[in-house]
Amino acid sequence: MKRIQLREIAYARSGDKGDVSDIGLMAKDDAAYKVIKEKVTAQKVKEHFKDIVKGEVLRYEMDNLNSLEFVLRNALGGGATRTLGMDQTGKAVGQNLLRMYIEIED
Amino acid sequence: MKKIRLGCGSASWGDMLDPAVELVEKGDIQYIGFDHLAELTLSILQRMKNKNPKRGYIPDLIPWMKAILPTSTKKGIKVLTNAGGANPEEGAQEVAKLAKELGIHSLKIGVVTGDDVFPRLPEIRKKGIKLKNLDTGEEDIDRIADKIVAANAYIGSESMLEALQKGANLVITGRNTDNALYVAPMAYEFGWALNDWDKMGAAVTIGHIIECSAGCCGGMSNFWFQVKEPWRVAFPIAEVYENGECIITKAEGAGRMVTEWTVKEHLVYEIHDPKNYLMADAIADFSNIRLKEVEKDRVKVTGMTGKRRPDTLKLCIGYEDGWIGESEISVCWPDAIEKARFCESFLRGRFKHLGLKINEIRFDYIGVNSIHGSLSDVPHPDEVNEVRVRVAVKTDTEADAGKVRREVTHLWTHGPVGTTAVISPPPPRQVVSLWPTLIPRELVPTKLTMLEV
Repeated sequence: MKRIQLREIAYARSGDKGDVSDIGLMAKDDAAYKVIKEKVTAQKVKEHFKDIVKGEVLRYEMDNLNSLEFVLRNALGGGATRTLGMDQTGKAVGQNLLRMYIEIED
Repeated sequence: MKKIRLGCGSASWGDMLDPAVELVEKGDIQYIGFDHLAELTLSILQRMKNKNPKRGYIPDLIPWMKAILPTSTKKGIKVLTNAGGANPEEGAQEVAKLAKELGIHSLKIGVVTGDDVFPRLPEIRKKGIKLKNLDTGEEDIDRIADKIVAANAYIGSESMLEALQKGANLVITGRNTDNALYVAPMAYEFGWALNDWDKMGAAVTIGHIIECSAGCCGGMSNFWFQVKEPWRVAFPIAEVYENGECIITKAEGAGRMVTEWTVKEHLVYEIHDPKNYLMADAIADFSNIRLKEVEKDRVKVTGMTGKRRPDTLKLCIGYEDGWIGESEISVCWPDAIEKARFCESFLRGRFKHLGLKINEIRFDYIGVNSIHGSLSDVPHPDEVNEVRVRVAVKTDTEADAGKVRREVTHLWTHGPVGTTAVISPPPPRQVVSLWPTLIPRELVPTKLTMLEV
């Protein structure tokens, strides 16, 4: 087994709807999709974001696009219009997800 | 097979104008849509209207139409825009005036209203509709009732379609869904029934792909490093076929790129559940979509389907929620992080000493952790050349929020050695919080008015 960072096998784009942060996680190829589908669970994402995401994390699968969709509730300091944070619309949350480490077969 | 080409000319208030002009001049399009509204925008516009009943539309509507209409009317390109904001009627009157000044005599403007339910909230609540907050779960709007500044429903394409059927070549609306600007022309041109859910699902999906302007052709992209001329931006074109398939492309010679990746990046953007992308016109299902780059900068999108539209519309209520005061100052090597902590301690103490009533406070060390928070890799202290210290405070009053910038400026002369880079701090801003909720569709009838120049 080896430890890799998600950024090596996936791209991400994120945005907002109110206080919800939405992340599209796109695997770089078919093999990478199998890995993220198995390893990047809603639970793992919730743990990854520690103090940042206060609410639940939902995951949806898009097998046709080799992508996963994550919905992070209570994740943007109350939402773009009232947050004191600097990433008001959650544009950088997806990049933060790419910091995640996962274990894969050699 | 019949096809039409629709361009996206704007994704928000403040988006770039010249790529839209390029689309109208060189895009070989028949329609162009302009979205200028974000979740907060209607609250800003409603307050403008409260001060002056002649205002409340997006001010950019006038310069934008000045740049677009002479060419669009000459070429027969129809324009759909939600820049009417909180006051589509007055926006349309101003555009009509402008058209006369420009010598345009062939303008038929369709004005769509009905999204603004603010004046009807008491009546709606009397029906027993509680307007539960979808973010927080709060059941009832009682707590915020006297602080509400705007309440707008995200309406669908019906009245816009009617405008096109009545010969409009410019449609001005308020808070419709962004993608309805594109659904209406597709339904009109292809005669798609508004209850043909697969076609409506396809229309919503195509609208979603292009509605964020550069979002599907190299803006906000993971592939930014492939862009050779960053200053050249392109806005997208959807070439839609009668069978509901489409090709995403851009104007000949425009900058950036359209690839399977750039389209995919936008397909997965802000959609929540990909099998149930809820919009006023249909629920789109993204789970069978295929993307294929058929030529350079031409990506074919197939497999779009849909389901019956929801019985409720999204309703966004904006309410006044205190003030935010914020400011920044820089500290430098050596010991930059320690100096930043000194500044934080100074400010926390000063705010307490001055008796500021603070509801929420946040410090950011810009350059260290301001974007990725506690997940940031913090560098070794010796490697930090500088830190920009930012403080943001939420207060009940403007006066308390105003004290924040004064105290930060004091760090210039009362902070650690080398503290510098004071800029004119922003004035306190009033917070409008959003209360997202749902409203039964039948309570939001829309209305079309035609205006001819």
